[in-house]
Amino acid sequence: MNYSTPSPAGTRNTHAKASARFLERHPSTVVAAANMVAALVHAGLTVTLCVPWLVTAAVVLLFAAVVVDRRSGVRKTAALGATGAYVEGTVVLGQEVLPVWSAHIESSRQQMESAVGALTQRFAGIVDRLDQTLRSTSQHGEQGLASVFEHSSRELNGVLESLAAAMASNGAMNEQVQSLGRFTSELQAMAEEVANIAAQTNILAINAAIEAAHAGVEGRGFAVLAQEVRKLSSMSGEIGRRMTEKVRVIGDAIGAARLSAETSAKREAASVVTSDAAIKEVLDRFRSVTEGMEASAEAIKQQSAGIQAEIVEALVQLQFQDRVSQRMTHVRHNIERLPSLLADSRAHFDHSGVLAPIDARSLLAELEGSYAMADERVTHSARTGSTNVVATVAATAAPVEEVTFF
Amino acid sequence: MAKTIMIVDDSASLRQVVGISLRSAGYDVLEGCDGVDALKKLTGQKVHLIISDVNMPNMDGITLVSEVKKLAAYKFTPIVMLTTESADGKKAAGQAAGAKAWMLKPFNPPQLLSVVQKLVLP
Repeated sequence: MNYSTPSPAGTRNTHAKASARFLERHPSTVVAAANMVAALVHAGLTVTLCVPWLVTAAVVLLFAAVVVDRRSGVRKTAALGATGAYVEGTVVLGQEVLPVWSAHIESSRQQMESAVGALTQRFAGIVDRLDQTLRSTSQHGEQGLASVFEHSSRELNGVLESLAAAMASNGAMNEQVQSLGRFTSELQAMAEEVANIAAQTNILAINAAIEAAHAGVEGRGFAVLAQEVRKLSSMSGEIGRRMTEKVRVIGDAIGAARLSAETSAKREAASVVTSDAAIKEVLDRFRSVTEGMEASAEAIKQQSAGIQAEIVEALVQLQFQDRVSQRMTHVRHNIERLPSLLADSRAHFDHSGVLAPIDARSLLAELEGSYAMADERVTHSARTGSTNVVATVAATAAPVEEVTFF
Repeated sequence: MAKTIMIVDDSASLRQVVGISLRSAGYDVLEGCDGVDALKKLTGQKVHLIISDVNMPNMDGITLVSEVKKLAAYKFTPIVMLTTESADGKKAAGQAAGAKAWMLKPFNPPQLLSVVQKLVLP
């Protein structure tokens, strides 16, 4: 260290530089010392001491104090300006940024609610239609095809029975015709007997006429009687022949009718057999078709019921929207609280010049107080360190199904 | 004749899901979007059961229970709270107001129908 006596100006410069360095390192000490010296000077002690170097030092220190005071003022002003800008920034955050975040959250929530609502409505419409289809299919399945088949079967069997009855009736008529044939034979025999009797009566009348001729005049009346008897026998013979002729004609007609009836009966029998087979075949085909349709209807019914169950399950799963919507609303409300807290902080700063921290714990407590769902609380606890994340995930992934009866 | 059940919830999609479940089981369904709306629609007709959410705008579910219990026509109508709210305090409030059961969302339809069948009055 050089203790040689410097020139007064150089000494002052050296002292000033050293003082400036010291000031930069220990501004508060220097300020305090300067204040003390200033006070001493002010008290008039300088007159008593009257030491030149001390005066120089005091002047330097006073100068330094002024410099330091100015720098401190500048720094304080700069710091105050920065804090004010920070506070202004938080106010802008609260008034301009947070509402945008909040609006995005609410807009997303509303969009999701609207979309899920529309989706639910569509699904509900599908479920209703499927329900109507199922009811309709059940009714037609139970009353439609089965009843149509049964009705058709009854009707066609009725036709067959009518044909069989008609054939039986024709058979009875045929038997009656055949019995008429027997009567014609008897009538034929009777007519021939009448002819025989007429022939014998004619012979008897001829004999009577011969005898009357032998009797002469006395037998004349008897001859007239014999002649009349002969005429009657001739007429009886003629009637017998005509009867025989008519009976033959009737017999022929009856025979023809019997043949025709027999032919008709055979045709009808064949027709009934053919109809029976045709009806059975038609019914078999119809049964096959109806059974196929019933099987298809049953398959459609089961598929529809399955689809309906799947859609109902999907609708149940869409309940997530309600839960997500509630969580978003709770977070949004918490975000919307922040601008007023930031405004309060600014008001406090403006009033006192002191920047007080935001009460984040209070805000967190408000958020926690708004929770409705257990998984919200679990998530909150996990994020604030009181529950592990695995438990959180498990709790949010497996919603509780719980019913409490009072 | 089909029994009538009222579902009160501010979520339209949830009302629809509950409605489908109930209608498929043969019940008639009335809907209300909050407590005030539900009270407006309780006009003296027979309602066999009310299923209500808890957290709703205008009037919450627990207040709705208290108000329904003041109505002579619905004094004995059982009420089920169907809600995401799981806090014991809210449950106790629901019980004190006169609710018959507390069911947590998300529900499954068979479970809901089981609760309904237990509580629906003849």
